[in-house]
Amino acid sequence: MSNSTRRDFMKRTTLAGLGAATAGAGTASAQDLRPLRVGFVGVGDRGSFHLDVCLGMDNVEVPALCDIDNAYLHRAKRWVVDAGKPEPELYDRGKTDFLRLCERGDLDLVVTATPWEWHAAVLLAAMRNGKHGATEVPAALTVDECWDLVETSEKTGKHCTMLEQANYSDNNLLVLNMAQKGVFGELLHATGGYVHDLRLVKFDPEREPWRLQHSIDRNGNLYPTHPMGPMAWWLDINRGDRFDYLVSMSSKAVCLNEYAAHYYGDKHPYASLNMKQGDVNTTLLRTVGGKTVTLYFDTNTPHPQTAEMRLQGTKGHYSGNMRSVFIEGRSPEAHTWETVEDYAKEFRHPLLDTFDPSRFKTARGHGGGTTSHVMWRRLVNSLMRNQRPDQDVYDAVVWSAISPLTERSVGVKSQSIDFPDFTRGKWQKTPPITLA
Amino acid sequence: MSESIRRRDALKIAGAAASAGAAAAQTSGDEPIRVGFVGVGGRGRGLLRNLLKLDNVQVPALCDINEENLARAQGMVAEARQSKPEGYSRSETDFRRLCDRSDLDLVINATPWQWHTPISLAAMNAGKHAATEVPAAQTVEECWQLVETSEKTGKHCTVLENDCYYRHVLFVLNIIRAGLLGEVLFAEAGYMHDIRAVKFGVAPGGGEPWRLEHSAVRDGNLYPTHPIGPVAWWMDINRGDQFAYLTSMSSKARSLKEFAIKEFGADDPRSRRDYKLGDVNTTLIRTVKGKTISLYHDTNTPRVKEHIVRVQGTKGAYNDMLNSIYLDGISPEQHRWEPADEYKKKYDHQLWKKMEAEAQGSGHGGGDFMEMYRLVKNLSAGKAPDIDVYDAAAWSVIVPLSEDSVAHRSKPVDFPDFTRGKWKTRAPIDPDEII
Repeated sequence: MSNSTRRDFMKRTTLAGLGAATAGAGTASAQDLRPLRVGFVGVGDRGSFHLDVCLGMDNVEVPALCDIDNAYLHRAKRWVVDAGKPEPELYDRGKTDFLRLCERGDLDLVVTATPWEWHAAVLLAAMRNGKHGATEVPAALTVDECWDLVETSEKTGKHCTMLEQANYSDNNLLVLNMAQKGVFGELLHATGGYVHDLRLVKFDPEREPWRLQHSIDRNGNLYPTHPMGPMAWWLDINRGDRFDYLVSMSSKAVCLNEYAAHYYGDKHPYASLNMKQGDVNTTLLRTVGGKTVTLYFDTNTPHPQTAEMRLQGTKGHYSGNMRSVFIEGRSPEAHTWETVEDYAKEFRHPLLDTFDPSRFKTARGHGGGTTSHVMWRRLVNSLMRNQRPDQDVYDAVVWSAISPLTERSVGVKSQSIDFPDFTRGKWQKTPPITLA
Repeated sequence: MSESIRRRDALKIAGAAASAGAAAAQTSGDEPIRVGFVGVGGRGRGLLRNLLKLDNVQVPALCDINEENLARAQGMVAEARQSKPEGYSRSETDFRRLCDRSDLDLVINATPWQWHTPISLAAMNAGKHAATEVPAAQTVEECWQLVETSEKTGKHCTVLENDCYYRHVLFVLNIIRAGLLGEVLFAEAGYMHDIRAVKFGVAPGGGEPWRLEHSAVRDGNLYPTHPIGPVAWWMDINRGDQFAYLTSMSSKARSLKEFAIKEFGADDPRSRRDYKLGDVNTTLIRTVKGKTISLYHDTNTPRVKEHIVRVQGTKGAYNDMLNSIYLDGISPEQHRWEPADEYKKKYDHQLWKKMEAEAQGSGHGGGDFMEMYRLVKNLSAGKAPDIDVYDAAAWSVIVPLSEDSVAHRSKPVDFPDFTRGKWKTRAPIDPDEII
């Protein structure tokens, strides 16, 4: 055990040193490698989706499942057996039963899709027991938790990754590829947001009842990683640049009370309860290299979902909303959009060519389309070879730390808050992400 | 004579402020408005052309340091009015002699930015109303000077913000007043317009090379009024709400230097100097009542011109980029945009229904005609302009406040209350009065 930990650690430090130069250079083919043994903590709406994606992969085994809800747990067990895999052991003793799961000797990876406040705890338990940890977003809720994850990963040599599937969408990968090929010139600014009306989810006790409490107690950007993940890769965050500081501003909080009053009546406690979370939160981030980011968070107001992804460089820009691109000197008309499809062929990310979406069966549960399949195959392939996953522990904590830092800024009239350098200087020597 | 006019104007202003809109009946629209015009370059002549479309306008005096511009503008007026206006071109401060004339009601200026406040002040101090191209001022002190001079002289001071009269802007004002969006919580807007060629003086017509120096020595949102004017109307700023504070952040500055190198070669002095203005500036504003605004300023990068314009209320959202609207419980499909076209027909603003033909081709989506039309109409009726001195100050002060914030790691900077508390009782803009 300690032998393998040391070996893992050495491999990992080698990889970190050589960076992406060695990524994918492993000589063993997938057939030679032992399947990845995955334990799942939380197999509700979202966790069951991850499980189902994994059950569609030959090189994954699922020896253990954990949930406090027996219905979810037994449904998940049935899915595993139906997929022709050995019957998993179930952990159902209570909220901290994931600790027993993490102590098993036959797991390589522990996945958690639990309410937010459990993410870091499960990851830490996994790594301390010699397993890699993968978590639903966000990875942590406080800066302390972020540091804990970094230091535990560094100390144990175990990977800690976040399951941010937005990074693998066709358009986000296309823009990444274009950015890395210099099509936009030197990058200057990106905009993105999680603008998604979740009022129903927050008030539905069957789905994610714990979510509402965050809106009652907190005020900031509580869900930054969906837009931040892709933008961080575009902007080389942790890989040549890093966030320097942020400022954050929230509007007043109106919509949750109004929603409760509308559906449950004026007398319902939620119709008048003081909800801290401002309906629209906007955050500005600046990098050490002088790039800026505008980040939106709005899960309270009525609107169609939008990610507002935009990217501006010295040669041109992209607008996800408009599905449009303009590149000076390349676009045929000055100051006039082209459609993103005009670029999709030439700059389609090569990663997507290595996957055949028709082989992906639709997974059960709340998911993210084929992007999640691509993400999972990338992750399983990396971990089977003990290579650093695309989203490493530094990504997980930097993207997640936006929540506590924005809460702090909102609480002090939008004053700027410095970003900790979780990489302790390694960002300067880490090359841009490659998804070879 | 001038005393009694001032007193009459002051009374009218006080009346209009106390009960905005209630004075609609007492127009004296037949009285011609006599306009002196300072700065008749490309932009100034564009405004002048629209001004001359209005039949109750006389233009007795013009001023420009460029005699060729002056002669062309004099020719325009002579052709339209059969009387050549007197020209003032002795020096950069010759506008003072123009302001001292006794036969003017209004002085309009379309000069480089640093002259906007001095000319507006000279006009008001000489008993004339003042209208200035955007922005109205460059510093907090100048903003206060405009406010206090207007209050003291009883003369109006307005900023010529044509974006407020765009058809979609007045449409949004209409749907807000109709309650379709509920309470407005947030708006995103920007001035994102590649004017590198204008700054370097290599645009068709020569551009505005004086602009370049601002980009060389300043960093912030240097041109906020186009996006903030409409948003301020939608959010009742100075009329029920008030900007509380802002924070501002700029990206690094790359694009102007790159443009100069490409255009003039690496050895040209313009390629070898530094430009301070970050290519993309984002400013966040919070109002006293808790609304928020994201404001973009980007005049350096190669890009498609964008205003963005996204408005979020408690009951719905409007997205101008997508020309789409979503209304909770009204839109046929949950969480799916509707095309805004039908709403735009139904809630089309009456100014546009009435004046569409006149506004066509006037420049900036018809806004250039509409702003002149509304200004002259209000003044000739003895009413306050739609955009008053408090608006001019609050919208323009974003420039120095954002510079202050950018220079101090995006620290929050408080807005002065130029209305000194009057914002609490002033009535919101009434779209039915804009006609």
